[in-house]
Amino acid sequence: MSARSRGTELDLSWISKIQVNQPAVLRRAEQIQARRTVKKEWQAAWLLKAVTFIDLTTLSGDDTPSNIQRLCYKAKYPIREDLLKALNMHDKDITTAAVCVYPARVCDAVKALKAAGCSIPVASVATGFPAGQTHLKTRLEEIRLAVEDGATEIDVVINRSLVLTGQWEGSDFIKTSTGKETVNATFPVAIVMLRAIRDFFWKTGNKVGFKPAGGIRSAKDSLAWLSLVKEELGDEWLKPELFRIGASTLLSDIERQIYHHVTGRYAAYHDLPMS
Amino acid sequence: MAATRAAPHAREIFTSLEYGPVPESHTCALAWLDTQDWCLGHYVNGKWLKPEHRDSVPCQDPTTGETLASCLQAQAEDVATAVEAARTAFKSWSAQPGVARGRHLTRLAKVIQKHQRLLWTLESLVTGRVVREVRDGDVQLAQQLLHYHAIQASTQEEALAGWEPMGVIGLILPPTFSFLEMMWRICPALAVGSTVVALVPPASPTPLLLAQLAGELGSFPGILNVISGPASLGPVLASQPAIQKVAFCGALEEGRVLRRSLAGKCVELGLALGMESLLLLTDTTDVDSAVEGVVDAAWSDRGPGGLRLLIQESVWDEVMRRLQERMGRLRSGRGLDGAVDMGTRGAAACDLAQRFVHEAQSQGAQVFQAGDVPPERPFYPPTLVFNLPPASPCAQAEVPWPVVVASPFRTAKEALAVANGTPRGGSASVWSERLGQALELGYGLRMGTVWINAHGLRDPSVPTGGCKESGCSWHGGPDGLYEYLRPSGTPTQVSCLSKNMNYDTFGLTVPSTLPAGPEIGPSPAPPYGLFVGGRFQAPGARSSRPIQDSSGNLHGYVAEGGAKDIRGAVEAAHQAAPGWAGQSPGARAGLLWALAAALERRKSTLASRLERQGVELKAAEAEVELSARRLRAWGARAQAQGHTLQVSGLRGPVLRLREPLGVLAVVCPDEWPLLAFVSLLAPALACGNTVVMVPSAACPLLALEVCQDIATLFPAGLANVVTGDQDHLTRCLALHQDVQALWYFGSAQGSQFVEWASAGNLKPVWVSRGCPRAWDQEAEGAGPELGLRAARTKALWLPMGD
Repeated sequence: MSARSRGTELDLSWISKIQVNQPAVLRRAEQIQARRTVKKEWQAAWLLKAVTFIDLTTLSGDDTPSNIQRLCYKAKYPIREDLLKALNMHDKDITTAAVCVYPARVCDAVKALKAAGCSIPVASVATGFPAGQTHLKTRLEEIRLAVEDGATEIDVVINRSLVLTGQWEGSDFIKTSTGKETVNATFPVAIVMLRAIRDFFWKTGNKVGFKPAGGIRSAKDSLAWLSLVKEELGDEWLKPELFRIGASTLLSDIERQIYHHVTGRYAAYHDLPMS
Repeated sequence: MAATRAAPHAREIFTSLEYGPVPESHTCALAWLDTQDWCLGHYVNGKWLKPEHRDSVPCQDPTTGETLASCLQAQAEDVATAVEAARTAFKSWSAQPGVARGRHLTRLAKVIQKHQRLLWTLESLVTGRVVREVRDGDVQLAQQLLHYHAIQASTQEEALAGWEPMGVIGLILPPTFSFLEMMWRICPALAVGSTVVALVPPASPTPLLLAQLAGELGSFPGILNVISGPASLGPVLASQPAIQKVAFCGALEEGRVLRRSLAGKCVELGLALGMESLLLLTDTTDVDSAVEGVVDAAWSDRGPGGLRLLIQESVWDEVMRRLQERMGRLRSGRGLDGAVDMGTRGAAACDLAQRFVHEAQSQGAQVFQAGDVPPERPFYPPTLVFNLPPASPCAQAEVPWPVVVASPFRTAKEALAVANGTPRGGSASVWSERLGQALELGYGLRMGTVWINAHGLRDPSVPTGGCKESGCSWHGGPDGLYEYLRPSGTPTQVSCLSKNMNYDTFGLTVPSTLPAGPEIGPSPAPPYGLFVGGRFQAPGARSSRPIQDSSGNLHGYVAEGGAKDIRGAVEAAHQAAPGWAGQSPGARAGLLWALAAALERRKSTLASRLERQGVELKAAEAEVELSARRLRAWGARAQAQGHTLQVSGLRGPVLRLREPLGVLAVVCPDEWPLLAFVSLLAPALACGNTVVMVPSAACPLLALEVCQDIATLFPAGLANVVTGDQDHLTRCLALHQDVQALWYFGSAQGSQFVEWASAGNLKPVWVSRGCPRAWDQEAEGAGPELGLRAARTKALWLPMGD
């Protein structure tokens, strides 16, 4: 994580002045996907870049140390070594940006990553995930425990009842949703959030990060997200300190696309290691 | 990006995260050109026409300059061949039931669907426009247009009863966007049963391909004929005797020239001129979305021309910052690249933009250019011009692609004044999150199309057109159909061109008239004077002309109006215009009904005056009664104006508004001195116009009688009546730049003059060409044609969303 956002005095007039025209934003969301694509070498490079933005996530009720361990190994070695070699990218130390687990699994993740000998940060969803409807006291305690266990990044679910009544909170990163909602990361919502990030940067000089999560499954989707951030915020936001993609199955699709790019064939299920 | 750059390896791209080329293969376009042996002719009557001994023009890839094919240039005889084919095809095509025509259009839509890749790659290859817009926009829209008009064709017998197809339509298309502009016009023309000869600029293969696809459907080969040739062939096409209407789409000055050259040739002319658009950005806008609107309008290859951008002063800095930042992210390159925003339009467009920008700079403007643009010609970067002094020539000139000229405004009222202060009236968008303000601006803009919080949306069911010098022809929706229809039974006119017409002297001087003795007769002395601004006035010339009755005796004197009186009348009409346009239809109907009642009260006087003009008493009384009925009927029709359209893919309505033209001048026919006057006055007023009328030259006294009631009933200036020498008054009205439309019912010569003179402000004109009209018949005296001509359409798009 970058130097912490220094924050600023809360000025609610900024929020009340914001105008968002929904139909226009919907049109922009459609256009952005149609106007920017990358192919060939560019696609491969962009996909590898996308890997470095992934918060490789497992948030299942039945997570155990064994699948956490497998996840951590995949985070360290996201793309098959021979494929990276073919692209001359094997020395770039490509890993995912972080692994993201429930607080109770932070310990397992930290242990697994240490065993693999890498410094990938562990992120944890805390504070009554995914609803956020628990007492402040228990939520704070949850964060404290996760950090004690070795989590270095916390995805906080804000108390949305406060938002809906106009009582906002601040953060280093903003995330589209928990990934557990019926509607998760959509382009129109992202456009509004990215523009808010830019406005905040222009007003205060503070860079807030952005994390879309939920429903980003295909390599093509991930490219669209990269170009969305590039178009709305610029290249300076395209680094793991400011941009993450919360996803669990995305990585395997990216690996399949890389496989196709390198070999010219479509991969069978067993050609690529599972996460 | 340009192919000249060395391709980097994944390692470098991984660090730089730059975009790469996304080339769309155009092998199928080349394969099609190969089937033509790299030589394109014309497509006439379902066959390729490749006559010998013709000049040819190379069709080049605008990006590389590589020659793709050679295109034969048509000569007059090729034009004649094409028109003859269309004339022959018209007989069978127009005789088809609408359902059959609809089926044929649907088949064409399906053929386009099957060959769309060929269409979009060819169009993008030869025009340089980005393939994304052609593929996702134009080609899809072309199919929607065919489907929409197929439906219109199949309901034609019911929905358009009383109208018939005009005949052979000549279509003259501009170099850019010729394929889509052609689709917008051929679809309605073909749907209603007309046939088309399209003259496309040299080196535009896509319209030819489209004609080939249509021709290969087998049946009705001659309904769509495409010939390519230089602009100088336009008048040749327009002058073919079989051509009933010419639809021209292109540059303003060319349109003016065509208007003048077609005067008196008995051919209808529909003009769509200029390409500039306008965007009005208020301080309650979602600025980022509005900036995307600017990109849509000027820098995405969606709109054809440049953009005039009006920004509210209080958000000027913020908008400029965001706009310039956004411009930096634009990419331009080869049209067939799938990841660029803008292509190129060739060297000519590049030069035009460059000249405009240099001139603007020399006149004191600042220029900002940005974006990832290949440095070589013919690419031109997205350009923002600002701080242009308002009175400088560039501030008045049409903004070329891809230039945006930004200027500030203080209040919404000022924005309207600035926006309406240009001779152009094409399309505009209003950006405001305040509903009331957005609607106020949307209704207030004198434009053909207004989008609220969007720019450049289009749909086959929404009429698109313009007003003022953008020309008043329409495509799409019901208005597009009427462009190629005429009331059933309209006699086919043969050219009545007067070769020795002298436009400089026509109606220039008023023959002097001498007193013809005292007025005699049983009726009271007729009213005297010019009826201007709600009262009778003495004419500027202080002279009068005698009016004789049917037996040659003096009936009375009327004032001899002149240029100054016309000026005064037009001024008075303009003063009354905003008030009258703002009246509800109900209030307008009320006044027309009151006038009807007054006519009935005045029946005996009116009838006796008609009698003196040789009308039998019974017929005279019937004429008065019919006149009163006409007023009532138009009063009632005033209520039913405009309607709401529902467009696919858009949440929210599109309003099809019928707005007043403004000041409408009417020169009445000699015949039916009362009925014709009232039949023309009523629809003009019902639609919200104010009028300047020149009554029947033979007997203006009846109109003056009516004016006595108008004086007591109507607001001052609403209806003005100027008597005098008809040719002279016609000349004054036709040359008046601030008269918005002119209806002329008089001699063939006068009609020719009116058509010629209307090129000045391109006012829509309606001329009788010396043909009498049956004013007592419902169809000709009170038909829907009058209502159609008495108002103009505006499409107001209102997308909704929370």
